Amino acid sequence: MKKAQIQMGETIAVLFVFFILVTVGFIFYVKVIKGNIELESEELSQLKSVAIAQRAMFLPELQCSEDNIAIDNCIDILKLDSAQALMRENEVYYYDLLEFSDISISQIYPSEAKWNVYSRKTDEFKSKFVTNAPISLYDPITRKHGFGVLTIETFLK
Amino acid sequence: MDKKGFEVQFNWIFVLVAGAAILLFFSAIVIKQKSVADISTKATVLKNVEAIITGAGISTDTTNTISIPESSIEISCGRISLGAVSKQYENLILFAPASIKGNRLITQTLSFNAPYKATNLLYITNPEIRYILIGSSSLAKEINKTLPSELKKEFYKSLSDIKGTNNHKVRIIAFESMTEFPKALAKMPDSDVTAVRVNGDAEKGIIEFWQKEGNSWQSNGKSYYIGKSSLIGAAYSDTAEAYECGMQNAFSKLNLVTKVNIDKTNKLMQKSSDARQVQCTQFYSNALAHLNKILPSGTFSQESINAIAESAKSLAEENKNSQIHSCPLIY
Repeated sequence: MKKAQIQMGETIAVLFVFFILVTVGFIFYVKVIKGNIELESEELSQLKSVAIAQRAMFLPELQCSEDNIAIDNCIDILKLDSAQALMRENEVYYYDLLEFSDISISQIYPSEAKWNVYSRKTDEFKSKFVTNAPISLYDPITRKHGFGVLTIETFLK
Repeated sequence: MDKKGFEVQFNWIFVLVAGAAILLFFSAIVIKQKSVADISTKATVLKNVEAIITGAGISTDTTNTISIPESSIEISCGRISLGAVSKQYENLILFAPASIKGNRLITQTLSFNAPYKATNLLYITNPEIRYILIGSSSLAKEINKTLPSELKKEFYKSLSDIKGTNNHKVRIIAFESMTEFPKALAKMPDSDVTAVRVNGDAEKGIIEFWQKEGNSWQSNGKSYYIGKSSLIGAAYSDTAEAYECGMQNAFSKLNLVTKVNIDKTNKLMQKSSDARQVQCTQFYSNALAHLNKILPSGTFSQESINAIAESAKSLAEENKNSQIHSCPLIY
């Protein structure tokens, strides 16, 4: 074999090894990035779920108020039935706020009762989060507070 | 050319091709990474803005200054975009200039009451925008007090008092007539100087949007406001269309909350009637009449503003009466 041919063969071999190293590095980099994206996506899903839960808890359609002063973590039970019907009638409007989620309120004390306020589920979800928040259920007629749990299930695609 | 010379030349060509291929490969990676990083930054900013919007629905009467990566945010009716990244909203209640540039955002929330809370109004702006309030009325002073101190705001008695400083945008909120044009702003580009003229009181009134055109003002449409929070919305919005978009969404929400309050008042009336609490029943019956006047006001117009303003006052009175006579409150 001539010297020039050997030199060229060496160069090609060096280049070949170089590109193999680059490819291995690139594959490793893509894997790390993919892992980060998955982590970020999970974090985003959780944030979205918290945002939906917050929106649901502070809806003026459900929240208690005393002389127009909103009371945190309190649901007015006189508003519940109409809010339930309203959310069903205006599904598109509330979808923008609550997206794919299921919101229900369970009264535990003094008696047991359950209201499903909003329900728009999907079977094609990637992740599902359930948020339970203890709430006070206020009856303005008897002026008594009950105790309950607000359950917000969010389905994220 | 001899054989050795040809080999040397071929070697150089080979090195050139291989070098170019390597350079091209890495350049492609760098360009791709740059665009990915750009989109990622924009997505982060948009995520921050989304978090602000969610927060606004919860907390009332708050002002925040938020640091973001240097960006240009475009805000239109139901849409927030950062270059190619955008988010569409069905019922966004947001009042802001059409374009916000910089690395800081000032957000403010106020509740929209009629007289019960219907929703929170969210305002977003940039600390670089110069807000100039003109007037000496009590309403002008009140609006000046309500606007956050973090804003670059100035308060003058008349338009001629305005001094010229280097600003990328100027927004005038005038409680006086707009007949003269401030000389200090004459050299600014037309699109950077906008104004809103307020004609009314703290309850309701007419607002007119203006745009600089040379050395004079060009009217850009007329609209209406109801309450201080709505007027502040007009102060932050560049155009009548943007303002009305936010107000229309606020009115749609008011309509939904009114439906719930009508149902609640009906239940309260039924219970008080069963318990033979004549006075309470009377208050609820009166309240229902006022609530039913607010209900059809789902669209933003002068007629609905007048109807709401009138009924809201009477409804607040009935709520007060309920409180005085120890009846359960309407809202």
